[in-house]
Amino acid sequence: MRINCPYCGPRPNEEFNVLGDATKTRPDADKATAQDWLDYVYERDNPKGRLEEYWHHASGCRNWLVVKRNTVTHEVYSVVAARDYKKTHPEGVKK
Amino acid sequence: MSDPVFRGGLAGAKAIDGSISVSAIDDRGMIDLRGDIKDKKFVAATKKVLGISLPAQPRQSVNKGEVTALWLSPDQWLITCPRAKGAHLANGLQTALAGIHSLAVDVSDARSIIRLEGQGAKEVLMKGAPVDLLASEYTDGYVRRLRFAELAAMIHVVSSDPEIIDLYVFRSYAQYAWDWLAATSTKQSRLSLFANQSIASV
Repeated sequence: MRINCPYCGPRPNEEFNVLGDATKTRPDADKATAQDWLDYVYERDNPKGRLEEYWHHASGCRNWLVVKRNTVTHEVYSVVAARDYKKTHPEGVKK
Repeated sequence: MSDPVFRGGLAGAKAIDGSISVSAIDDRGMIDLRGDIKDKKFVAATKKVLGISLPAQPRQSVNKGEVTALWLSPDQWLITCPRAKGAHLANGLQTALAGIHSLAVDVSDARSIIRLEGQGAKEVLMKGAPVDLLASEYTDGYVRRLRFAELAAMIHVVSSDPEIIDLYVFRSYAQYAWDWLAATSTKQSRLSLFANQSIASV
């Protein structure tokens, strides 16, 4: 799988570390219950198909990226820097 | 009190003369510089001290005289200069950048530099990295970090013709990288990727 880093160009996935689901939104610390935190920190779906994930270009520009990819075909649909992703998805992404 | 004496990570390593020549460079000072390239004050202050504009374009470097700025990430550069001037330059940057959200640290001892020279240097490196260094983008001044022989490393194409490439690795890995290159750059292990292969037909 090759990831097209917006800063470094197409790079092999050996250069990246994956963090996981990019669609989770951090709960409001004043209102969140234990269940909200459990969901935010631990609970993850394991979808077959499209997925949005955080990837870290650890052996490159060391920037956080949001990669939309397919877990079945390994097709990569889009890659954006996490800081730009947050600007376009201020409230997180609803599933 | 005894004064600390600098000893390079590859002190005493004898230059290798195989299919290419490999030598250690330990007279470079290095400064880690971080800041916002969109901040005009940051750009002006760094230019005043360094005498060069930082490369804003990814994977590029700028060189003037003794000072080189290597792009590391959108907000990070590695400044190299003669080792004797490293601390002075870092101090100059810190003074000029006071009050500006930024960072300048003398990291001269953090990395070791190994210089590969000669036709075939890229092929030697390619044995340890899943990267096509023969692509046209790897020309004069190009910088990229990569996985080389399982290490976090960085290459700087000082010149593509004749081939001169500086390999930056963290100091503690320098001996490993050196031994790896020594074993891989012998005359017998030269690769000729695009030449006619003289393998007898079966």
